[in-house]
Amino acid sequence: MQEKLQQLKNEALPAIISVKTAEELESLENKYLGRKNGELTELMKGLKDFNPEEKKNFGQILNEIKKELEESINKKREELNNAGFAEQITKEKIDLSQPCLPKKESGHIHPSSIVQKQLEDLFTSMGFMVLDSSELESDYYNFEAINIPPTHPARESQDTFYIKNHENWLMRTHTSANQVRAMEKYGAPLRMITPGRCFRNESTDARHEHTFYQMEGVVIDKNINFGHMKAVLETVAKNLFGPETKVRLRPKFYPFVEPGVNGEVTCLLCGGKGCSVCKHTGWMEIFGAGMIHPNVLNYGGLDPKVYSGFAFGFGLTRLVMLKYGIDDVRLLQSGDLRFVKQF
Amino acid sequence: MNISYNWLKKYITLPDSITPEIVAEKLKLSTVEVENIIRQGDGLHNIVVGKVLKADKHPNADKLKLCLVDVGKESLQIVCGGSNVADGMLVAVAKVGAKVHWHGEKDLVEIVPTKIRDVDSYGMMCGGSEIGLEQMFPAKGEKEILDFTELKFKPGTELKKALGLDDVVLEIDNKSLSNRPDLWGHYGIAREVSVLFPRELKNYETKEIIPGKEIKLKVDVDDIKLCPRYMAVVVDGIKIGPSPLWLQQSLSAVGLRSINNVVDITNYIMYDLGQPLHAFDANNLKTKNKNSKTIIVRTAKPEEDFKLLDEKVIKLTENDLVIADEEKPIALAGVMGGFDSGISDSTTTIIFESANFEPVNIRKTALRYDSRTDSSARFEKSLDPNMTSDALKKAVEMILDFCPEAKVVSNIVDEKNFHLATGPIQTSVGDICKKIGIDLDKKEIIGILTRLGFEVKEKGKDGLSVKIPTWRATKDISMAEDLAEEIGRIYGYDKIESILPSFEIAPPEKNELRDLEHRLRNILSKELAYDEVYNYSFISDAQIERLGEDKTKYLELDNPLSKEKPYLRRELLPNVLENVQKNMENFDQVNIFEIGKIYLAELAGPRALSNNDELLPRQDSVLTIVNYSKKGQSGFFPVRLALEKIMADLKTDFLIEAPKFVKNFAHPGRVGEIFIDGKMVGMIFEINPLTAKKWDLNERVGVLEINLNDLLDILKEKNPFTYTSISEFPTVERDLAFTVDKNISHQEIISKIKDVYPLLKSAELFDVYEGEHVKAGDKSMAYRFIFGSSERTLNTGEVDEVMGKISNILKEKFKAEMRG
Repeated sequence: MQEKLQQLKNEALPAIISVKTAEELESLENKYLGRKNGELTELMKGLKDFNPEEKKNFGQILNEIKKELEESINKKREELNNAGFAEQITKEKIDLSQPCLPKKESGHIHPSSIVQKQLEDLFTSMGFMVLDSSELESDYYNFEAINIPPTHPARESQDTFYIKNHENWLMRTHTSANQVRAMEKYGAPLRMITPGRCFRNESTDARHEHTFYQMEGVVIDKNINFGHMKAVLETVAKNLFGPETKVRLRPKFYPFVEPGVNGEVTCLLCGGKGCSVCKHTGWMEIFGAGMIHPNVLNYGGLDPKVYSGFAFGFGLTRLVMLKYGIDDVRLLQSGDLRFVKQF
Repeated sequence: MNISYNWLKKYITLPDSITPEIVAEKLKLSTVEVENIIRQGDGLHNIVVGKVLKADKHPNADKLKLCLVDVGKESLQIVCGGSNVADGMLVAVAKVGAKVHWHGEKDLVEIVPTKIRDVDSYGMMCGGSEIGLEQMFPAKGEKEILDFTELKFKPGTELKKALGLDDVVLEIDNKSLSNRPDLWGHYGIAREVSVLFPRELKNYETKEIIPGKEIKLKVDVDDIKLCPRYMAVVVDGIKIGPSPLWLQQSLSAVGLRSINNVVDITNYIMYDLGQPLHAFDANNLKTKNKNSKTIIVRTAKPEEDFKLLDEKVIKLTENDLVIADEEKPIALAGVMGGFDSGISDSTTTIIFESANFEPVNIRKTALRYDSRTDSSARFEKSLDPNMTSDALKKAVEMILDFCPEAKVVSNIVDEKNFHLATGPIQTSVGDICKKIGIDLDKKEIIGILTRLGFEVKEKGKDGLSVKIPTWRATKDISMAEDLAEEIGRIYGYDKIESILPSFEIAPPEKNELRDLEHRLRNILSKELAYDEVYNYSFISDAQIERLGEDKTKYLELDNPLSKEKPYLRRELLPNVLENVQKNMENFDQVNIFEIGKIYLAELAGPRALSNNDELLPRQDSVLTIVNYSKKGQSGFFPVRLALEKIMADLKTDFLIEAPKFVKNFAHPGRVGEIFIDGKMVGMIFEINPLTAKKWDLNERVGVLEINLNDLLDILKEKNPFTYTSISEFPTVERDLAFTVDKNISHQEIISKIKDVYPLLKSAELFDVYEGEHVKAGDKSMAYRFIFGSSERTLNTGEVDEVMGKISNILKEKFKAEMRG
């Protein structure tokens, strides 16, 4: 019996090791360990014919061999399984550069909306209200109330679109038209921006548009001075164009401020070294600003002896063009999807 | 305006360490925009004065000369095609290495030794246009080279030096001068420079005019408002001729062409003091008495014809101010002289005019005749009337100097009637410092103001009483804020400390409309793949006609840029449809949206004035989306999907109902009005195929229009969204399919079965089908019903019962037939 067992073991183990497929392994498992006719199973069934001592002795050996065979089979099975996965994984290699098909289109937000939103978020974070205002505006709010006298050249139809049969209605020429409206509605202290569409009666070309976007800002309180204006403009410029950005203010006349300045920032492209975009000056004109004229405060119902403030205006359209390097302003209102789909 | 650095130095002494670049930078930061700095003579490198020793005929060419030219240390053989070249002539020689505009061409060419028709040539004798001197030395004939023989230059001298082209020119942006009438001449700029550096400003020296008695000069100013001051004097014995070289050089530096001594004097003084002058030929004035001259300053007669100096003939209006003799106008006041009274080579007697005119009227007249001149540009800035006297004295002084025989032969007329508000302005050191945010002492403030020409008197400890100089009093300076600006800009804006203002910690009021707009942009672009477009607010006659709308409802521009698009949009649709049409050239599918304002005249908008009830048109923000595909999958349902997604995001239910009146541009069977809580917020429709064809769109065009102001009003009214608790008991799902007349709507069916049974949680339509196996005129619909209770598990029997009821309702109300 012992010999028989040893022989079975010597025959079975190498057979298991040399098996190549899962099917062969299964038939070997059946051959030796199958419940019905497995050779080892049969030998176990035959144990009942031995005497108790032999039964115990052979039984122990049988169990050891069975365990050994099972372990060997399991090990082989895992080996075969792993080999199978490895093969499958190799076969499943894909082209990583191939895009997902069919393509799913995405939509695009207009660049002016993107930049406007960024500015609104920036100013909101600084405690400014974002105000809306009329695009079709009255002569009063667009000109008179912000100290632009009736004889001012800007009032002539060369620059302003007027509405037929309503001689004091016009398309606002600047978002400054909301200065006095905001003062009337909110009084002081006031911190607000008004981004929006403006109109000028001028022929369009790559650099000129009759319809464009501006953003006006106003800060009014007691004791607001020029140094405050400078600080706010610097903060905004650094936020928009990076912490290294410098601001310089130069005198410029606007009827609704006194003093008035034009604000330049270090050129976004060359960082101030001078390039073709900044006409080799290192500076780019980005905004107009100034301390609000006492007449304007009066129009807004605020006493200039008590309150002072500053106003500033950005060319939103110009910012968009600078940010994205857009060389033809007309693209912004062309509705051309070859343009819009880039953003 | 161009400013000559040499000219400036007549009035202010600057050390060499202060370069023109430094002056320009200071001016930029404190006064005006200097756009460019041009160094004269930069292009004249290696160009020298040469003397033609002999000019022989070229052996191989008829029109060329073979010349030997003395250029100082050596003589060069040069082949020349100049028509005027001759022995002994002094010429401009571009030596090897010089760069010239060959035959006046735009690009520069470098001179190299060359062979012309087999003969060596070592340079070039230049014409004026070849080295940028055509203004200074206008050519009289073609192919002429510059002839300096009369100027007696020494051969070999650098041309730059010989011509005195060592000036530096600062180009100043006129727009930056618009509010500074005092800066339109060199003396004014010199005054600023003298304050900025600071250096002493020399006085403007003039000689008194000694009047003559031969001619009685009379000036009648009819309109003292339009002409606050008029000075004039007659000078006889004039010999018209070229100006001295220094004057020619000065004018050339600022970009003016020298014309003759008299005209050059008027231009020079205009650029010197900023005061435009005019010179008439006195003999061309019609006058009754030989020994008198009368000038009338009056408004023109309507339709009066007038020939300007530039030979343009205009028809005057009664708003134009003219200078006239006893018969007719001789000048368009402040703008341009008349052709008939202009200075000619035979002029011997002149009248110098030095006057002041009302700015607005000058500007309007100049614009009316498209004749903006150096003169009108200055008058329209509000010049100081006090300037006319110095200007006239200077003009007489110069002409007497240029023409030794000349003599003042009349009285000096000075008709004036003006008042300048020169203050004084009451302010204080503390007030100025507070406005700017600086801490300057009194001495410094008074110093700056005094150097600028203000007269400052101290009042008490801190107070200042400031008298405005006349040249700043015409419109520029009138209040304490103006003085703060003067201090700020001269002190230097860069030196003012930046300090952020402090405010109460409080969140700003929200702009809910803006938030809604940005939210919709996100949904439409990120979730639904729509692209955002921007269009103009204006539309055309043709677009309105295509829509079949009524033109009279639209507001119209009084002065549109193009006659083509004069109307203000009442809907975004026409321009968006145009976008679709144009994009079809590049794309098969166009899904776009625009958010913008529309202008509705019949509805009340914001107030037009603060103190009366006039209202502007209502200007609502509107969303319009359009869906179009060449492959024909576009139309109503894709835009309905967008509507569903938007409303789902806003947590809002909506209804679509067929409108009572269908607009011409909508498909009558595919149009609905969108309601939320019974209030209309927009329209959803397909474009009427007949309308779509007008935009070359042959497939279905889906459109969704939502009025965002209306939508926002409704959203504000709604209760905030809250969650519904999740039932711990299972729900039961049942499907039901039936056929029904295709005109029965989903909404009708839902409205009838919705309230049948409280345990019906939802009824979702998941399939609609027409065609095979369904009777013509019918459609098959399939619903999924979900039943549930938060208190117990439902049993099959009760669900069966409700399903039966639903089937019965469908049969009874809609004649529906249940399917397998």
